[in-house]
Amino acid sequence: MARDLAIDLGTANTLVYMKGKGIVLNEPSVIALNRQTGEVLATGREAWQMIGRTPGYIVAVRPLRGGAITDFEITERMIRLLLQRVGVSRFTRPKVVICVPSAITEVERRAVTDAARRAGAADAQLIEQPMAAAIGADLPIDEPVGNMVIDIGGGTSETAVISLGGIVALEAVRVGSFDIDAAIQAYVRREHGIAIGERTAEEVKVAIGSAEATEDESQAEVRGRDLMTGLPKTVILTPEEIRFAIDDVVSSITSSVVRCLSKAPPELAQDFLVRGMFLVGGGGLLRGLAQRIQRETQVPVKMSNMPLEAVVMGAGHCIEHYDALKRMFMGARR
Amino acid sequence: MIWWIVGAVVVVAIALAFFFRRPRSDTGLESFRRHIDALSPEARREVIDRVNRQSRPRNSRSDERDDS
Repeated sequence: MARDLAIDLGTANTLVYMKGKGIVLNEPSVIALNRQTGEVLATGREAWQMIGRTPGYIVAVRPLRGGAITDFEITERMIRLLLQRVGVSRFTRPKVVICVPSAITEVERRAVTDAARRAGAADAQLIEQPMAAAIGADLPIDEPVGNMVIDIGGGTSETAVISLGGIVALEAVRVGSFDIDAAIQAYVRREHGIAIGERTAEEVKVAIGSAEATEDESQAEVRGRDLMTGLPKTVILTPEEIRFAIDDVVSSITSSVVRCLSKAPPELAQDFLVRGMFLVGGGGLLRGLAQRIQRETQVPVKMSNMPLEAVVMGAGHCIEHYDALKRMFMGARR
Repeated sequence: MIWWIVGAVVVVAIALAFFFRRPRSDTGLESFRRHIDALSPEARREVIDRVNRQSRPRNSRSDERDDS
């Protein structure tokens, strides 16, 4: 009998929680294909290492962008391969709970559940990522108090107010850490005249990127291709210019947090001032982001203990208590 | 003999009817209470502890790499 699964199908990474066992898979949401035959050559970490380094006949793609499926068939194949890796076969068809952005449309919802069922799931239910994150971050969402969670992922950023096991207010934008990487690429191209890949942009972000000035900042040396000559070229990037480059993206994120705060009922809003807001997701690890959100909202911001695993842990808990928590699934509330 | 067969059929029919009976519908209060109880810190402890235990060996391995 297949063990039921919870899947955090993120733009950046896919995590799978197996009932009774814990997190059994944590891989980038990337798949590498033979462009000519359509054959899958690699998935996960192996495919991620190929991004930007493939010969002409191989393409390494991320089938999810902005939290949405951009290629249904490739997503289905990726999910199928991931399920096979955790032991699912045509004879073992588990129930699956999938975490999706709350701003997902009805069409996208159907695409995700169809992809999961065709990939081998007996049944597929969806749960909003902020709700799953709040469960996984161990917030007291079972109590009549305001809990605020900010989930910044690769393709989406969502802020939710949760109380008594349900979402009270929600604000989502299709902007995330990949947009920060793209902003760095665009800035380097525009100001320094060199082209860098998305992995290099991500490395720059991790090395010197920040939402606010921090202590012990240093510069970074970046190698790319000169747009004029086509030759390799090295430039020096400073933390100040990277902050400038990503400011629009960071502002979109902080603005959505402010909008969510303005939607919260006053009784719950006073809870945040005391308890603070909780930051989850890989995008929340950007240096200085918590401080910037705190400065712009005047509300304390705390980082979850396990920011990258909070969402799948929350969904995993829903799998462990499937019958009791059925009303949290997206189709169940209609 | 035939009465034994009829009796057995009746017993099986009653057993099947009992087995497939429509379940008593949950009241909203009971369903909500189960929902809230399933979200309590105690109920979530198992999953959180399980994942924390999994991440601890990974963290200590990366710490050893940093130290070396």
